Formats: sequence, C-alpha cells, structure tokens
Amino acid sequence: MKILFKTLGFSLALTLVFSLLTYLMPQMRGEAPVEKVVDLGSLTMDDFVAMGEELYNNKGTCTLCHKPPPLGRAPDILSEDMVAVSAERLADKGYQGEAKDAAGYILESMLDPSRYVVATWGKKGSNDSESPMPAVDKAPIQLSSMEMDAITAYLQAKDGNEVTVSLPTAEEAAEVASEPAGGAATLPVPAASAEEAMAKYVCVTCHAMDSNDTLVGPGLVDVGERLTAEEIRQSIVDPNAVMVEGFPAAMPADYATKMTVNELQMIVNFLAEKKG
Amino acid sequence: MMICMQKKLLPLLLLLMLVGIAGVAPAANPGMGDVAERIAPVGRIQLAGQPPLEDESEAAAQDTEKVEAKAAPRPTRSDYPDIGISSRAIVWVLAQLHLFFGALVLAVPLFVLIIELVGLISGDERYDDMAHEFMKISLTGFSITAIFGGSLTLALFLLYPDFMSYMMSVFGAQLLVYASLFFFETFFLYTYYYGWNAFRYGNLKWVHLSLGLMLNASGLTIMVLANSWATFMMAPSGVNEVGAVVGNIWEVMKGPLWNPINLHRFIANIAFGGAVVGAYAAFKFLSSSDPQQRAHYDWMGYTSNFIAILAFLPLPFAGYWLMAEIYAYSQQMGITAMGGILAWLFILQAVLIGTILLAGNFYLWAGMSRTDGSVRYKWLVKYIALILVVTFLIWITPHTLMLSASEISQLGGTHHSILGPLGIMPAKNVAVNLMLIVTFLSFQLYRRSDKVATVRWAPAGNALMVAIYVVAIVNIIFLGVYYGYFTNTVYKVGSSVAQVVSTLVVIISGIVIDTLMFRNAKTLPSHWGRISDRAQYALFALPIAFTWLMGLMGYVRSSVKTHWHVYTVMKDNSPDNYIPTIAYAGNMITLVTVLFLLCLLFMFWVANLSGSRQPKPAALGEGA
Amino acid sequence: MEKHPKMGIYSTLLSVVIAFVVVLVFFYGLNHLIMGMQGLPLNLDLTPAG
Repeated sequence: MKILFKTLGFSLALTLVFSLLTYLMPQMRGEAPVEKVVDLGSLTMDDFVAMGEELYNNKGTCTLCHKPPPLGRAPDILSEDMVAVSAERLADKGYQGEAKDAAGYILESMLDPSRYVVATWGKKGSNDSESPMPAVDKAPIQLSSMEMDAITAYLQAKDGNEVTVSLPTAEEAAEVASEPAGGAATLPVPAASAEEAMAKYVCVTCHAMDSNDTLVGPGLVDVGERLTAEEIRQSIVDPNAVMVEGFPAAMPADYATKMTVNELQMIVNFLAEKKG
Repeated sequence: MMICMQKKLLPLLLLLMLVGIAGVAPAANPGMGDVAERIAPVGRIQLAGQPPLEDESEAAAQDTEKVEAKAAPRPTRSDYPDIGISSRAIVWVLAQLHLFFGALVLAVPLFVLIIELVGLISGDERYDDMAHEFMKISLTGFSITAIFGGSLTLALFLLYPDFMSYMMSVFGAQLLVYASLFFFETFFLYTYYYGWNAFRYGNLKWVHLSLGLMLNASGLTIMVLANSWATFMMAPSGVNEVGAVVGNIWEVMKGPLWNPINLHRFIANIAFGGAVVGAYAAFKFLSSSDPQQRAHYDWMGYTSNFIAILAFLPLPFAGYWLMAEIYAYSQQMGITAMGGILAWLFILQAVLIGTILLAGNFYLWAGMSRTDGSVRYKWLVKYIALILVVTFLIWITPHTLMLSASEISQLGGTHHSILGPLGIMPAKNVAVNLMLIVTFLSFQLYRRSDKVATVRWAPAGNALMVAIYVVAIVNIIFLGVYYGYFTNTVYKVGSSVAQVVSTLVVIISGIVIDTLMFRNAKTLPSHWGRISDRAQYALFALPIAFTWLMGLMGYVRSSVKTHWHVYTVMKDNSPDNYIPTIAYAGNMITLVTVLFLLCLLFMFWVANLSGSRQPKPAALGEGA
Repeated sequence: MEKHPKMGIYSTLLSVVIAFVVVLVFFYGLNHLIMGMQGLPLNLDLTPAG
C-alpha cells in the first residue's frame, strides 16, 4: 500500500509540475472573429483607412506572415511604400497580371497571389511560380470586396500616397448586411471565367460586345479605350452614378450583391482589355 | 448401333419439339407477344374524372437530373444544445481518454507479437511468458477504450448534432466499415489471448502468431479510419469550398495530413504503450521482496523502457513531417501553431520531451549497476548528461513571443539579443538531433556493458564507431549553424533533413556494428534486480510525461483549427468557439491525466485480481 | 601473425585515422546527396551553389 501511495504521489506531483508551468506562461484566448456592423452612411476616407488598418492587423490576419525579416514569411509590406513598389512590379518584365495601377495590383495580390510572386518568397520548390499566400476572399479569411478595398486604401494612405479606391456605396453596404445566416442553403457555383460570368449575368442581352451598336445599353467593343478599370467597375456596381447621355436608367443596380468579387474582377479585366 | 443413334437422337428431338412449340405457339395466338409491350399504350388505367397521371418519363428524367450539392450546415449559436456544462469540456475529456486507451491497446499487441516472435526464435520461453503477461495486464483496456468511444459518440451526437450530421454525410458507409472492424478485432483479441496456452508449440504456435498479426491489422485499420475524421477536420479534402462532397470516399480520407498523422500516431502509440507497461513493471518491482520476482520485473521494466525509447527516437521526425505538411497545406495554420498564439505551447512540449529523454537516459545509467562490465563506460555518463542538459536548455528557449509594448522595450527589441537566435529551428534541430544521438549512446553503452567482443576486428570496429559519433555530431552542428544562420530559408529548411539522416546513420550503423561485433561475445555476469529503487521512478516519470504530452498535442490539434469545426468549410458557432488559454488547457490535461491514471490502476488491479484466489477460511474447512 | 610490440599503438592510431577519414568523406558525400536530392545543390566547399 505504501508503494502505491509513493508512486501515485510522485506521478501526481509530476503532473502538477506540468500544470503549474502552464500558469507561468502568458495567457491568451483566441477569440473567433465577430461580424462587425459598419455604419457606411457616415464613413469618411480617414475612417475607411483606419478600418483598413484594423482589418490588416486583425481579421485579415496579414501580420501573421507579413513581418520584418528574418521572421517574415512574406514581404514586409508595412515598411515599404506600396504604391512605389506596385509601380515597380507592374513595370517588371516578368509581371503577367492584369492590374493597371497600385490599387489594382494590391487587390490582385489579395485575390490571386500567385499571379505575381515576389522573388524568393515563392513556395519552396516552385521556383517562385507559386505563392504560399492564401486567397483573401476565400475561407478562412473571407474578406469582402469592401474590406479588401479598405486594406488597399490603408496601404496607399500609410505612406502619404493618394487613395484611389472609392468609399463603399450603399449597395456594398447592403451586401455586407445581407450575409446569409444559418441553414444548409445550396449555393450557386461561381463562374470560373469572364465569359462564363458574362453569360451568367446575361450582359449580352443589352450590350453588344463586338460593335458599337446600341441594343439597350452602349456597345462595349472599345470600352477599355473609353473607361478606366475603375470606371468600368463603377458602371457595373453602381450604374446610376455616371450615366452615358441618351441612355435610359435600365441597367440592374444589384450586381454588387449578386456577383462574387472574383466574377466582378474577371468581367472588369475582360472589359478593360476591349480596345476596339 | 441403332440404339446408340436413338439415344443421341432422343434429346435432340425433345429439344426440337420445345423450340417448335415455343416458336409456333405465339404465332398460333396472334396478338400474344410480350405482355408489357402490348399493354404499354394502355398500361395505365385512369378513371374518368381523375386528374391525369404524372408522365413517368418526366419523373425519371428528374431523378437523373444532377443532384444539387449540399453545403456544410451553418448552425447559429442557438442551434447548439446546452446542457449546463461546457460541451467542449465534456467531449475533450471523453475524446482524450478514448485516445489514451486506444493508443495503449493498439501498441501492446504490436510489441507483444514481436516479443512472442523473439521468444519463438530464441527458444527462451521467458519472452513468451512476458508477452503473455503484457497481454493480460492490458486486456481490460480494450473494454475501457470501447466505453469511452461509445460515450464520446453519444456526447458528440447530443452536443454537436449539426456537425455530426455533416460528418456522417461526408463519410457515409466508411463508418459502417469502421464499426464492422470491431467484430474482427474482438474475435482476434479473444482467440489470441485465451488461446495462448492452447496454441503453444509447433504449427499451432504459428496459428497463434497469425491471430496476433490479424489483431494488429484490425487495430491498425481502425486507427487509420478514425484518423481520417480528425485530419478531415483540419485539412478537408474531397469537398468543395462550401463543404459539398465532390470526391469519392478515398479522396475524402486521403487528405494531406492523413498519412503524417497515421505514421506519427503509429510510432507514438508504441512509445506510449511501452512507457505504460513499464510503470506496471516498476510498481510490481517495488512491491516485491522476493529476489526472483524483482529480477523478473526488473527485466520487464528494462524491456518496456527499451521499447519506449526505441520508438521515441524516430518520433520527432514523424512530428516534423506532420508540421511540414501543415505548413504546406496552410501557412496560416502552421504559423498559428508555432509562431502565433500556440507558440508557447511548444516550449511546454520541449519541457515534456526533455523530461522523457532525461528519465529514459537516467534509467539506462542506473541500470548499468546490473552489470560489472559497465564500469568501463561510467566515465562517459557525465558528458552525456552535460550534453543532454545543454541541448535541453536550447530546446526550451523560445523565440517568437507575443509581447506587449513594455515587454518589447524591456527586452530591447522583439527578440532577446543573445538567446533569441537559440530559439529558431536550426538551433532546435541541432539540439534535438544531439539529444537523440546521446540517448542512443546511452543505449549502446548499456547493451555493451555485459559483453566483451571477441572478434579480431573489434578495435577497428570501435574506431569506426567513435568516428561516426564524432563526425555526425560535428556535421549536425555545422549543418545547423552554417545553413541555419548564414544562408537563405530554403537551404536552412533543407539542412534539417541532412541532420536527421546523420542521426539515423549513427543509429543504424550502431546497431549493425554492434550486432556484428558482438557475435559470440564473451558475456560478463549481469544481475537482473540489482538496480536502485530510485531508478524505478524514472519508469513512472516516462508515462506521466507521455500522457501529458499527448493531452497537450490534442489541445494543439484542436486549437489549430481556430474557430472552425472543419477548417475553411464549417464554422464553429458554439459558445466554446474560442481557443482556451493555456492555463485552462493545462487544467484539462491534468484532469484527463489523473483520470487516466485511475482507470489504469483499475486495469492493473483487475489483471492481478484474476490471478488471485481467496484461501478458504478454516471454519468452513471441516465436515460439511 | 605476431604484432611488433611498438606497432601496437601505431596500428590503433592508424585505424582511428583511417576511420575518421572514411567517415568524413562519407558524411561529406551524404551532405551533397541529401541537399542535392531536395534541389539545393552545393559547391565543393559546401556553400550553396547557384
């Protein structure tokens, strides 16, 4: 019996030593992200930039990898002027993405990180052709397009550069508010290419793609010549903001709630290429 | 001749008649072809005034229409049942205890089979008896595993119904396969154990060994099936972004983490099993006063420690592979584990591993008192101890910490200027490889301590062995320091593979050289049982540290999914969807360790109970 | 075969030296092999190549 007590006592004591060690360590609780309600009616650009900074440090989980060397597993964004860096990258011969400006480049880096992999940061063995960064608009990060715009604004503003993203519109606010909650809903499969997306949203019923003929809306054969990518995006997301003279306000205004960010991006890129 | 012809002709004639009747008969009744065909246009009767029947072809078309893929459910907080106690705590306790006992009952038959085989080959029946004894003491463990498994299942269905319904829909019939395996395992377990003495010699012995092999096979299959559920939750495969199943069951099971977990758990189970039965042996040793009994249990304890340490040596590499796959699957998940909120946990893991290695080594050094020949090697022990302590200190030095602003200014930066560099992987890899090499050295010295080599090339063999140790150690340090601190990331990571291989070279060459060199060796006297009582406590430290380590790693496995039930696919919306603090986890792990200890005591007590018989009281002896 | 008494120490020293040389070469080759297998070539002085 004595042996039992001695051995059991020793075992329990050792167990408690390990338990005690856990009390000596810093205590942190890993909270799940909470869906925040943003009052977009009164959002200023400064607020938007601050929102971007907050997202960068928290929900976006960017700081997990984007840290100063030697720790960082991704380029140290905060210490670089991202607008200047974006310009360099866009001018790089090896750049094969579709962005045209800093905002576009930053957004592309979030949506499709492998489009352009900064030298030496690629996945081991992929010779810098594949990025280890996850797509930010997908799980587990799942930022909305408005949140990504906020981060873009922050990255532009932090070095004193001009912010070229626009504040979220009412439609985008509606998109955030109407996040489906609960239920085993069957979700439609997102389009995988620009052509598929344009077929899905039946753009061709109103717009001729290969000429300037008017069907209901303007022909789009040279829309990339006339409008910037940002203006094209605005025309889709907020068609009534800038109307072409002589055309009725017939374009659906709810594409922003229906399209996935990727689908919108693909359509914008496609149209931006159309130069007649 | 006519009769023969008649015999052949008759069946032919009958056949012709049948064909004729069959062929002619329909013609004889016009309009009597295939029944369904004939009534098809009017096959369905519809009474006047009734609504028209659904067109059958349309319904069939709908059936063959592609079934819309079903996404993972998204329960709200109120969808989770609340029984007043933290659901996660309940599942944590049941799951961890199930895993402890599951590991034990998978491991024991494995080394029992090997020991039985060793006994057969060597002809020494003591091995066979020890194998039998190992089985006896762990037999109750199978029921205990099942009890906790059943309770766990019930708790999961009760407390996480949406999650479980999703998992059922993903894994489908695989669950029935899992259940059916228990029939096989039970059959082989009982025939293997209860048939031990009945199938003892000759061909029957081989039958017995086959039963043991099948027991291991069913157990291993059970484990890998269950592992697929856990790895699916961490790194789902075979499903799309919203959780709808798009692959077959093989694609669902064979995710990126499945085989790393299979290997890691397989090896770790063996180490754990060895440690647990070692505690039994130590206890029996301390409780006996009979020298023969003490000698028996001393030998048993040594064998258990041997199994535990031997299986422990490759374990860090299996763990490294698992971690590498986690990083490859999701850099975020990897960093959460080792560079983010769970980083301190791995320091605790380092402490536990250090405990295991120190205890294992200490037991080997203490065991050298059994042999007179060990005196030649005693001088090395203090150097091994020194290396172990230094490498242990390096192993537990942290690097990436979550610091507050005041802590940063106190530290003079985000990392300590001197100790910081000791915290990153190259230093830790150097430390762990050296710890394993010197542990193997303790092993090798112990094994040599009762022998004197008689082969002519012994001096050359020893020179070679010394050279291998020295060069391997220097190589490991060089690889770690040079590639770790003076080249880029890719070379740094790649050098760790070379370090592992260097360690394996030492281990393999040590085993080969010793086997060859000590053939027909002169044996020196050794005395089983001649070991201090104090050393037996090392055999308690081992399973305690192992158990606590398993619990800790379970906390990591679950927390690394952060707020997801199934990572990126099904969010956890329960009240417990946060990663608990490490102190809370420590309390839970200590709780399950204590519960495990108590169940283990019960298991051992029952094993001893079956062998005892109450003597008949004298009063009832006479007459009656 | 009788060993010359003085040769005793030298033969031990020789075998130790030979053992070290053999093992050093072995580990040097091992480093090249293992690093090369992972697509991380080394120069002759074990510095990263290219």
